[in-house]
Amino acid sequence: MTGPTTAIREPVVAGSRVGRPRWRSILVSWSFTLPFVILFVVFMAGPIVVSLVTSFTDLRVTDIRNPFAVDFVGLDNYVNVLGDDVFRRAAFNTAIYVVVGVTLTMGFGLLIAIGLNQAVVKFKTLFRAGYYLPYVTSIVAIAVVWRLLLSEETGLVNALLSLIGIDGPGWLTDTRFALGSMVVMAAWRGTGFLMVIFLAGLQSIPSELYEAAEVDGAGPWQRFRSITLPLLRPTLLLTAVIASIGWLQFFEEPFVMTQGGPLNSTLSVAYHTYNQFSFGNYGPTSAISYLLFLAIALLAFGQFRLFRSKT
Amino acid sequence: MRSKTLVGAIAVAALVLAACGRDDGDEGAESGDTTPAPAPAETGPVEGEISVWAMGAEGENLGVLAEDFMAENPDVAVEVTAVPWDAAHERIVNAIAGGQVPDVSLIGTTWMGEFASLGGLDPTPETIDPSQFFEGAWNTTVVDGVSYGVPWYVETRLLYYRTDLAEQAGVSEPPANWDELKQLAQGMSEAGAQYGIGLQPAQIGAWQTWMPFFWQQGGEIVDDSGNFGLGSEACVEALTYYDSFNEEGLSPGAEFPEIVIEAAFADGSLGSFISGPWMIGIITDAGADPETWTVAHQPTEQSGTSFVGGGNLAVFSDSDNKAAAWAFVEYASQPEVQVKWYETVSDLPAVQAAWDDPALADDELLAAFGEQLDDAKAPPSIPTWEQIASVIDAQIEQVTLGDATPEDACQAMQDEASAIGTGL
Repeated sequence: MTGPTTAIREPVVAGSRVGRPRWRSILVSWSFTLPFVILFVVFMAGPIVVSLVTSFTDLRVTDIRNPFAVDFVGLDNYVNVLGDDVFRRAAFNTAIYVVVGVTLTMGFGLLIAIGLNQAVVKFKTLFRAGYYLPYVTSIVAIAVVWRLLLSEETGLVNALLSLIGIDGPGWLTDTRFALGSMVVMAAWRGTGFLMVIFLAGLQSIPSELYEAAEVDGAGPWQRFRSITLPLLRPTLLLTAVIASIGWLQFFEEPFVMTQGGPLNSTLSVAYHTYNQFSFGNYGPTSAISYLLFLAIALLAFGQFRLFRSKT
Repeated sequence: MRSKTLVGAIAVAALVLAACGRDDGDEGAESGDTTPAPAPAETGPVEGEISVWAMGAEGENLGVLAEDFMAENPDVAVEVTAVPWDAAHERIVNAIAGGQVPDVSLIGTTWMGEFASLGGLDPTPETIDPSQFFEGAWNTTVVDGVSYGVPWYVETRLLYYRTDLAEQAGVSEPPANWDELKQLAQGMSEAGAQYGIGLQPAQIGAWQTWMPFFWQQGGEIVDDSGNFGLGSEACVEALTYYDSFNEEGLSPGAEFPEIVIEAAFADGSLGSFISGPWMIGIITDAGADPETWTVAHQPTEQSGTSFVGGGNLAVFSDSDNKAAAWAFVEYASQPEVQVKWYETVSDLPAVQAAWDDPALADDELLAAFGEQLDDAKAPPSIPTWEQIASVIDAQIEQVTLGDATPEDACQAMQDEASAIGTGL
């Protein structure tokens, strides 16, 4: 990218007597960035490249004493993974997690943020902290507590339902409800975080705009549609990307609560990757990881297009 | 400048790629000969330092064993390391990969195939006599015809049942076969138990409860020539029988994860279940009256086989003090030492002679476990076992909680297991 500029400037620098100080400044700047560059190459870029190469080989745990003595199998891992019923089920579940989960967390997050942003609400800080609290609580702790709440025989949810004469199902043991229960729980946990971002976004909208619109006779819905939404566009983009990435990597909740069951109905792609890794199938595991990466990249790209500023 | 970097990168990549590729010969050549000669007896002097790893309660109490060993072998210094079970598999894999291994470690029986195929374990020397151990336990050390290590402690699965409920149902003898087990569960259910029996229908480890039924019908997971036998009639019969308890409401089915076995057993809402020796202490702590329950041998059809698990002691091939390491392993296998180890951490001895000691022989419940160990099998020691076990778990679930037929599930087990292969 910097080709043309250096081409013009280099002869000048090389021919002048300030050459030495310039080399020194290059040296100094490299020595400052070197620690980061080395750490990045060794612990980030290196493993990323290695795992990409691994995804085209038949590397298994039994090969790790001789990791180079493996065969390249081209796209076989990808073909096998895409044809695997369990992976397809996991991909389907993950799609549901993302679509429903992102919609729920963003919808409720925005709704609560708008509510808390009204001047008339008292105890704002209390509410804000209350909604945010689940997000700073350990996922595992939450999952364990919810597993108790959702228990079919002894859970609080079914106990309350029985008060109004409904015989509640096994929320986590019934294939029809397990995925839904999981989404609701995770959405409840994630809403607070998006709410805080939305609140910050809302507070950056000048109140004069609303006052002017009100003078012009705009109702609440019109003000929301024509002022809040457009000005919140960058915030919406940020939250959509963050939420989607989080939901695509959905793992802890099924890991603690259902182990992906019953009948794989709560298995996510990240969980499937974990399982394959623990079986020692490093080739297919890397392939699944790159498929997940591709999905995340495509989704983020789509969101950037969708929320792109139209000015 | 940029093109130079590119050329450099391609050159490096080409070098790396050129170095890749499996040996052209048969795979056996690479992962250790299929029939390597048994290791010569370790005749070196028993001295120097060895490091020993163990997990869980064994890890915490390993110091006791090490002290005794050092008292008999003053020239050896034993360094013990307790490793949590959760981290153990990964740590051992990393140790083998990096060549920075301990000399001896406790190895879970189902990991043997993987670590041996990695080339990480040292073959058992001929000086150790296989016949002193329970056969099922010894077989867990044998990978592709060669033994790597010895069984250290064992566990097996028995039927726990409420004798008071059984009496109300008119049953005074332990169930001898499948029909009698079914009748017992039905009878206890009628006598007031919410569930006559608790059989794990799904999730990790369901195969450990189901597999004995498969073996009892003469099933074999992998035959001598490395073919899977999961699509067999034995599998269909075992799955049909296993699921019938769910179908008839005798076992909790989908609600199984919500049942606290020991509490339900103690208050009589669960009539029976199949589990290992650790449950003796747990149900006693849960308040079950010792007069109201007992344990029984697995029901017998073609055989009365149960599942055997436990832990093995193995020496690593990269150990630099194998003589002392094997001396430690042999020491741990002496009957007296096995009895003392039982008294220290309640691990059941893998050495048959240790069971003659009054500490074990006089305990009626334990004696039942000892008897079952004579007819107990372990899954094959193959590197892919964990993955195949997850396939079996998943297909059991398809039948017990889903609506797959046993025939389809067994065929699926067979097809998926064959696709995964034994990994040897």
